[in-house]
Amino acid sequence: MMTNDQVIEQSKTELDQLAGMGRSAIGVLYPHAPFELILAHGFTPTLLRTNPNVSGAYETSLQTFACSLVRNMFSQRELDQFPLVAGLIFPGNTCDSLQNLGDIWRVRFPNDKVFRLTYPVADQSDASKEFLAQELRLLSERLSKDLDYPFSEDGYRYAVRLMQDFREAAQTLYIGRLLNSKTITYSQLASLVRGFLSAPSDGMLEKIKETATRVSQELEERNLKEFGDTLREALLKRDFHGIEFPVKLPYPRIAVIGGMTDPDALTRIIESLPKTSDSIIVLDVLSFGLKTVFTRPPEGDDPFEAMAVSILTSPGEPTQEGLPDRVRFLKDIVSNLYIHGLIICEQSFCDPDEFETPSIEKAVSELNIPVVRLPLDSELSDMSRLGVRIQSFLETLGSRKEGC
Amino acid sequence: MSEDRNKDEKPYRKLETQTLLQQIAFRQGFEALAASEEGRLTWVTSGFPVEIPIAMNVGVVYPEQAGAIIGAQKIGPEVSGYAEDLGYSQELCSYARVSIGSTDRPDDVPMGSLPTPQALLACNNICGTVLKWYDAISEMTNAPVFLLDTPPIEGEQLVHHKAYVKKGLKKLVEFLGSTFNTTLEDDRIREVSELSSKAIELWSKSLQACKNKPSPLNCADRFLTMAPVVSSRGTEHCVEFYEILLEEVEGRVKQGIGAIRDEKIRLLWDNIPPWFILRFFNKLAARGVGFPADTYTHAWSGLVAGADTDSIFDGMVDIYSNVYLNKGLEAKVDKMCQLIKDYDLDGFIMFSVRSCKRYSLGQLTSKEIVTERTGVPGVIIEGDMVDSRLFNEAQIQTRVDALLEMFI
Repeated sequence: MMTNDQVIEQSKTELDQLAGMGRSAIGVLYPHAPFELILAHGFTPTLLRTNPNVSGAYETSLQTFACSLVRNMFSQRELDQFPLVAGLIFPGNTCDSLQNLGDIWRVRFPNDKVFRLTYPVADQSDASKEFLAQELRLLSERLSKDLDYPFSEDGYRYAVRLMQDFREAAQTLYIGRLLNSKTITYSQLASLVRGFLSAPSDGMLEKIKETATRVSQELEERNLKEFGDTLREALLKRDFHGIEFPVKLPYPRIAVIGGMTDPDALTRIIESLPKTSDSIIVLDVLSFGLKTVFTRPPEGDDPFEAMAVSILTSPGEPTQEGLPDRVRFLKDIVSNLYIHGLIICEQSFCDPDEFETPSIEKAVSELNIPVVRLPLDSELSDMSRLGVRIQSFLETLGSRKEGC
Repeated sequence: MSEDRNKDEKPYRKLETQTLLQQIAFRQGFEALAASEEGRLTWVTSGFPVEIPIAMNVGVVYPEQAGAIIGAQKIGPEVSGYAEDLGYSQELCSYARVSIGSTDRPDDVPMGSLPTPQALLACNNICGTVLKWYDAISEMTNAPVFLLDTPPIEGEQLVHHKAYVKKGLKKLVEFLGSTFNTTLEDDRIREVSELSSKAIELWSKSLQACKNKPSPLNCADRFLTMAPVVSSRGTEHCVEFYEILLEEVEGRVKQGIGAIRDEKIRLLWDNIPPWFILRFFNKLAARGVGFPADTYTHAWSGLVAGADTDSIFDGMVDIYSNVYLNKGLEAKVDKMCQLIKDYDLDGFIMFSVRSCKRYSLGQLTSKEIVTERTGVPGVIIEGDMVDSRLFNEAQIQTRVDALLEMFI
């Protein structure tokens, strides 16, 4: 099994190799980016990640109250720490920090090819689908015109297959963790998902598939394969009706929720704690994790409409309408997947995260489940204090078990 | 400064029209209370197409205005604290925090808490925060949220953006119809839209009058007198107010009377004001510094017009999508440069409001561009519109002094 750093390193190598073969990369900042579209244009989409070792190069362009992700991305670019990309796709209408960052970027880095994909915030079914489909068409036109890489039908079919194979393999890893957390550690899962999203390719897919095959075999050996499939479908449908775990589960089982927090950041904190492993985390509900993985593939004759539906039906983000649905989904997860504690990650100065946290905290506390809030920044500047928080949270869970 | 001036004389002239504001505020308060008791009150964001609920006989009230009132009472930190006790971060918008805080503890905020809403109407043309804020209020009051989604615009508004927003307007009518058992009639929306346009037209004339030297209105005057156009556009009393205001403004222009007594330096103000310290502008007035223009009060400038509901909706799509904060940095820079040119301004102050990322992020870049294009200097000061804990007066003074030294 490869370590986190090895997986990440491999994704960089993969990206370089693809570039060497004439397949340039397009950087994306938002997890619900149209990976299939970018691949269909002959590019490799790469989800840009925050770098905890980079800080402080944003001050002449951004105020300190820009969200930490935005500050970190800008600093990386300013310090030439970004991977080599042919263009960048900024999300529009998701949050104010990212919206404005796109504008600032264009001024500060005029030679960068900056594209914007605007997402609908409102849940207006067909109107939202039509809007996003048209945005995707326009993005496709711009990729063709500005970068001279036309949309390819074959490329699209390949991309749909690649992304769906990835999702299915990654879903198996999530199911594996939910049923037997010793099968794969959370950090391994997170790094495999992140590694693929950094360089979606057959090479990276093979890595994740290998692990998924092993996890699947282990589930089969324990007669959990069928239940695992039911659980996977429940997560995809966000409906846990009739779910009953056929095995005794260890204590404690912790879930993590948040927006665009890098799962890697969380595992770093946990791994830094004495006598603690990330085996306690059985599930994440993060943008770069479950929400990307449990997305249905594009289906239908019109690729743009199909991609729009795929994106719009993926698990909701705090940047979108639908807080009551998200809270309901989380409560279902906590109740039906036997979660004993919840870690809420809040990105520093992230409005969507910070607004949603009290609602989540309240809803989960009503289920008598302990909650801890982790205010994070991309530089993990407060790592020791966050570690103490997690430790005391684990102690709370420990004393609960004793009290049972 | 004239030598013979009375030492007790204030450096600024108070508008007589301002006294009417209190009457309007009382009227709105009573109307909102009555609407709430009758089960037909909505809370709306400042950039919401309020003509529609008004035409459907649904009451409206503005939490942002309540936030300004809380700020002006200097109780922002205390009321924010109520929201922070509920788990809302101090890093969040202070309008939202005081709104959540005053909703949680209305008895502790007699001036600034709003009557219970039956629905919450948000339009994200001013920021993305409004949806999250109203979601929080919805959890506290059980009032459903309606979001009119107006995707940000780059350059010209695209056809599919227009179609999407227009569908949103139609959905709004359905939402109000089913929530309040009401309908939208052609005649009524036309009437309300005409009143709205009339008020905005009068308001715009008052703003334009500030091109004169000396300017008949200063920043604080406009921040206060903008209240009705935000909260009552579409009503007759709003039009009446702006007729009276314009009369006074034009009277000042005819007589050569300025808002400040000795206007020497004319500056542009960018962003929401610090409501808890509007005397900031008066102190500058004492040094001959006036603000004939600002980006905030110019936000209400589009006229809603049309022959029938459909064409009025087309107009609304245009007006409510093209508000200042819903456009990119380039458009904001253009607007600032235009104001500096049209109002013959010597420089500008950008208030970097920690609460408002949509308004403030980008200012460091736009400051450079505006100076480059116009040749006038500017300064950025940082603080907040309601939360005075985030306002360092001494530090701000030093920065403003540095700017003013350039004009000596």
